[in-house]
Amino acid sequence: MKKSAIAIITASFILLWSACKKEEQNVDPPAPDNEVITTVRLIAVNAADATDVDTAQWRDLTPNDGNPDLSLANLKLKAGAVYNMSLTFLDETKDPAEDITEEIHERSIYHLICYEPSSGLGITVQRTDYDDNTPKLELGLEAKATTTSAASGTLQVSLHHQPSGKNGTDCAIGSTDAEVTFNVTVE
Amino acid sequence: MAAVLMLLFAHAVVSAQECAFRITGTVTDDHFHPVTGAVVFLKSDASRGAATDTGGHFAITGICPGHVELVCRAVGFTAVSLHADINGNTPVQIILSAGANQLAQVFIKGRRVTDLRTVSSTELRGLEKFRTAGSTLGEALKSLPGLNAINNGPTISKPVIHGLHSNRVLILNNGVRQEGQQWGSEHAPEIDPFVANEISVVKGAASVRYGADAVGGVVLLNPDPLPEYKGISGNAYLVGQSNGRMGTVSGTLQGRTDSNGLQWRVQGTAKRAGNFRTPGYYLKNTGMEETDFSAQLGYHRKGFSLGAFYSYFHTRNGIFEGSHAGNITDLTAAISRSRPLTESVFSYDIGRSYQNVNHGLAKLNGSYQFANESRIEVTAARQGDLREEYDISLPYTNDPTLLSKPQVSFKLITHSAEVVYHTGTHRRFATDVGISGNTQGNVFRGIRYLIPNFRTYSGGAFAVERYEKDRLLLEAGLRYDYRWQRVYQRDTRTLDVYSTTLTFANPSGTVGASWHFTDKLQVSGNIGTAWRAPSVNELYIHGVHFSDATYQDGDSTLRAERALNASLTVKYDARKLRGTIDVYRNHIGNYIYETPQAQPVTLLSGTFPAFRFTQDNVVISGLDGALQYDLFSSVTLQSRATLVRGYNKTADNWLIYMPADRYEHSVVFNLHQWHFMDEPYISVENVTVLHQSRAPQGLDYAAPPPGYSLFNAGVGFRSDIGKKQVRFDFTVANITDKPYRDYLDRFRYYADNIGINFIIKTKLSF
Repeated sequence: MKKSAIAIITASFILLWSACKKEEQNVDPPAPDNEVITTVRLIAVNAADATDVDTAQWRDLTPNDGNPDLSLANLKLKAGAVYNMSLTFLDETKDPAEDITEEIHERSIYHLICYEPSSGLGITVQRTDYDDNTPKLELGLEAKATTTSAASGTLQVSLHHQPSGKNGTDCAIGSTDAEVTFNVTVE
Repeated sequence: MAAVLMLLFAHAVVSAQECAFRITGTVTDDHFHPVTGAVVFLKSDASRGAATDTGGHFAITGICPGHVELVCRAVGFTAVSLHADINGNTPVQIILSAGANQLAQVFIKGRRVTDLRTVSSTELRGLEKFRTAGSTLGEALKSLPGLNAINNGPTISKPVIHGLHSNRVLILNNGVRQEGQQWGSEHAPEIDPFVANEISVVKGAASVRYGADAVGGVVLLNPDPLPEYKGISGNAYLVGQSNGRMGTVSGTLQGRTDSNGLQWRVQGTAKRAGNFRTPGYYLKNTGMEETDFSAQLGYHRKGFSLGAFYSYFHTRNGIFEGSHAGNITDLTAAISRSRPLTESVFSYDIGRSYQNVNHGLAKLNGSYQFANESRIEVTAARQGDLREEYDISLPYTNDPTLLSKPQVSFKLITHSAEVVYHTGTHRRFATDVGISGNTQGNVFRGIRYLIPNFRTYSGGAFAVERYEKDRLLLEAGLRYDYRWQRVYQRDTRTLDVYSTTLTFANPSGTVGASWHFTDKLQVSGNIGTAWRAPSVNELYIHGVHFSDATYQDGDSTLRAERALNASLTVKYDARKLRGTIDVYRNHIGNYIYETPQAQPVTLLSGTFPAFRFTQDNVVISGLDGALQYDLFSSVTLQSRATLVRGYNKTADNWLIYMPADRYEHSVVFNLHQWHFMDEPYISVENVTVLHQSRAPQGLDYAAPPPGYSLFNAGVGFRSDIGKKQVRFDFTVANITDKPYRDYLDRFRYYADNIGINFIIKTKLSF
């Protein structure tokens, strides 16, 4: 019987040591087809003057560390004008960069983009495009900005994922997939 | 008539080699009322016996080591017999009940409650355990004094012992340390409470016997001993509840091929629930489903015994849609709403977000009892834990395989082995010595990074010495643990894999004493230590933790936590008044917690408050009380209190998420027999939880909710149908459908707790 006990001890230790398959040493690379949003690009075109164009860009190529590149996150608009704005979302960790705007279009029924100018900036932004819901609800990849007098402030642009309850106006529904802030100067 | 019985066989202790052992214990009815004048004697020698006093106590002296069969008789109950292997003084609890005779034969060999006898402990068993049937482990235990539950809604619940939970509470499934992903507050223990008829809880530091992590305490689920007699027996549970329209079925079959043959048991549970309802609205996507089974084999001959055990647990839990937050703006908006934005109706469908969890445990054990009463036990186990979390937010891709993948998954494989040698009792001294070791590999996969992969090797050796003489028990123990951990991660820029190695080594100890002033009054005191290595998330997490919209940063320089816990327990056990009071003070050095950083983190998905893991010295002290008083023979008053105070001494502030003061009072009206019903009862209960006024300012998104007071009521009985026995209980919880929120429930940020709930429980034993 003592032999049996020793046999069990030996067997269990063999089990213990032989069991390690070292699977943990194969660290998964980041999922290859997973698209992260690295860049939000806002293009504003003066509705009355197609040569008056400004582009602002919010970019973070290392999306997990909180060090965004904000050097281009500035937008300059003329006072008393109307601008047609369009948004582009990119994944620039890929080469060439992936355009995520297309996927937002494809799943437009679950998405809403909201624009929030800071108070005192004196601009109003209205969404001009619609999704594929019936009846159609606002989407916001395209928008119209109307400026009044000269001022400076910020414009927050946010992309909301709304798998249920989207009504085309309420930004509080669902969860936020992107939320960036541009500096805006109206002169 | 007569006989469910239960034995509290702690560890066999004391005495010389000849016939000098004592069997002591109490005889009670199903409601734990003492039975006076019950006679307990040895079947082989009826002159070795004793009658119970008015407190239900008895003591039989002059017992020889080896196998005994005890018989217990009392007026109004039928005789029961039970078997015990005596190798020391053996405490026994016999619960007599009006009922069928076939449950009279219960064998207690190898039954252990806790291996440290001077640390305060509590048990959930008998009628009280039956009345928690269908609940999660956390919910089932939270009515015990000293325990609370931390919740993520109605289906995800974790036990809290003396204010501590998760990695600081150890769970033992049939003697094996449960190894899962315990670090998250929304990661519930992967275990089916139906696996055990009795759950014991060690309250306080107990690393000496159980190893690292037993900082707050230990929860032990031990299945009943396998049947000793030829034939097949079993039970079936059926539980239905109105809220969530939850149904639970669970069953056990067991037997032995012949009186010297193979013992076996199979057990299984299936559970399903849909959306739960608060007073006023349904909680969208809060359904769950669970399937579990276990199988056990045993064989013993002379001093030799062998056992095999396998258990499997699977659950899929919906995560309340209103709790999903993309960033801090979403979270504060959700908190500011008085009720969730998306209305819902009842449905069993579980959509994203949900968790999918599988846990398998295989265990082999053997033991041999030597001629000199010493015994060696060997255990080896393998467990696999797979946890997958599916988010409602899908990645921006059209690849269907990626869209159907979990956002994060964790796979943890653990192999462990333990050898313990019990010397038996020589000149009132008994010693347990043991060694244990385990190795773990954790593989993380995810669409986004959360924690790295790792491999650990741990080993420990311990010795516990006991001395018992008459009314005195002394206990002391020492242990040494070593842990090696290597972490594998990928550099975010170069994508090269690199590894980091950390080692931890810690001694731990315990000393305690217990003194029976009289048969009614017992006082125990214990000072013990425990330690815990920082978990991999505390060391290396880096990124957004979506369940609470925070940006978390680990600290790879964290040191091990060390707890020094002192506790004092007074037990009083008289005819009309019974009670237990525990007071404790747990000093934890290097206590690891998250502290907010001044600068929030700006990501493309918005702004996140930043938290970094840090460590400080904290003290958690408190009082647990349970009192039972028989106002009349048929009316019993019960009160329980759980009071916890947690304070960060370094930061000079209260600790966050400490349980608010909790009181439970009940009146139970019970009879011995009424028509066809045995021991019918009616109970009315009030649960009062006070406002947590001792919370740190500015560290939480919402202030602690106001206190609340709930009423529950229940009726139940037991009855015989031929050789079978039926138990029945009908309970209405939250009778007044009162809306409330609990400080320890993560869902309090978004929604009320669940409303009125009608619950029917039945159990058939055969």
